[in-house]
Amino acid sequence: MKVVDANRIFGPIPTGDVPSADAPRLLAELDRLAIDAACVVHSYALHYDPTAPHELPDHPRLFPVPVVVPGPLGTSAPADGVRVVRLCPAEHRFALTGSHGLQMAQDLADRGITVLLGWESASFGEIDRLAGELPGLGIVLINTGYRSLRQLADLMDEHSGIRVDTATLSGHQSVEWIARRYGPHRVLFGTGAPASDDTGPRFQLDHLDLPAADVELIAGGNVLELLR
Amino acid sequence: MSRVIDAHGHLGSWFNFAIPDSSTQGLLAVMDRCGVATMCVSHLLGVGPDARAGNAKLLAELARYPDRLLGYAVYDPHDPQAPERAADLLSVPGVIGLKLHPETHEHSLAGPGYEPAFELAAERGRLVLSHSQHESPWSDPAHFAVVAARHPSVQLLMGHAGLTPPGFAAAAEVATQYPNVTLEICGSRMTDGDLAWLVATVGATQLVFGSDALFLDLRVGLGRVMLGPLAPADRDLLLFGTMTRLLEGIR
Repeated sequence: MKVVDANRIFGPIPTGDVPSADAPRLLAELDRLAIDAACVVHSYALHYDPTAPHELPDHPRLFPVPVVVPGPLGTSAPADGVRVVRLCPAEHRFALTGSHGLQMAQDLADRGITVLLGWESASFGEIDRLAGELPGLGIVLINTGYRSLRQLADLMDEHSGIRVDTATLSGHQSVEWIARRYGPHRVLFGTGAPASDDTGPRFQLDHLDLPAADVELIAGGNVLELLR
Repeated sequence: MSRVIDAHGHLGSWFNFAIPDSSTQGLLAVMDRCGVATMCVSHLLGVGPDARAGNAKLLAELARYPDRLLGYAVYDPHDPQAPERAADLLSVPGVIGLKLHPETHEHSLAGPGYEPAFELAAERGRLVLSHSQHESPWSDPAHFAVVAARHPSVQLLMGHAGLTPPGFAAAAEVATQYPNVTLEICGSRMTDGDLAWLVATVGATQLVFGSDALFLDLRVGLGRVMLGPLAPADRDLLLFGTMTRLLEGIR
């Protein structure tokens, strides 16, 4: 089974000395937890300047995820070959469903690029509108927390392009419930590390009450398909 | 055979988010799946609006699963009959102590409403597990210092170990100062790095594993202990050693 973390941060973060501050330590951490690869967003893009280019390690186990900001004060369009990007509307103070946001999202949808979107980074209404206006846009809601299941159900019932990651989806049997109701293809293993814990989701992955084929999709099959 | 003890679990359901399967059988299935032998639980109906009814449900489930569940009876500081009721509950086989939730009851852990609970726990030699929440007016770690000093014979479990990263440091300070305070580690904000720091700072003899299931997913909390950067001896203390010692101390 290939295990790929769909939601990981590379680089130093302001709240602690973390193993993923540099590439060797990040790779050692992935080894320790038996994670084969990870989608990584640069901490500078999250916490410093999202519009400047930040070099991510060139390593076959690390898949760079650029941060995208719409509008005249934002980033340029993702380079050719980019398959997954991250949007942080709350942190980077742009309107997800403003004119620039929707225009950028349309471009991403047209190019088949999937968006990682933090649950706390946009409102339910914004996510609902984004997914409704752009049904072709792939959206992975990350860091959804343990209290959001009813709202996730509203969104996932309505919008087939919405998926979730497991980073903080830590309510009792929430992962199984989503996988059974919406299909395992709509659940991606993720950790959010080092901002959130990686050991819990990793252990949970090995102990899911789901068929092995479903677990394989969640563990890495789904995100590898998005990256293809 | 597993010896793992989950020191902080719940039965029942909760109002402000969905728990897809709130059955005790479903919880036991997850315990079996990840190798947890025993869970020490309170009933969420008791933690919430109705301690009397919640405790009755707890006793029924303890009777159904005596080999898998141990119980904390919820102590409602607003119930005038709470001391007598708690005394009766502590006589029931499988009830190991009292569960206090200062947040839901909006009563300070160090307030007068909880004093009979601590006196009872001291008299009967039982554990007290309380929710903790850093900077809360009801359950900040500083409140644990007050009651730990006031009742040195009571073994007090600080649920969530302060709950937030700043709270972990505050909790560690209390545990370091008071040997009758043990930190229980469940919560959605803790990372394996936080846990390793607590072990290094407090020592695993004053730490116990808890998951907060079926509020939270048991496997997520257990994963921090199983996969975190801990020495094997410390891991064993967290998983069962410390809690076994505390349970053996129950008279």
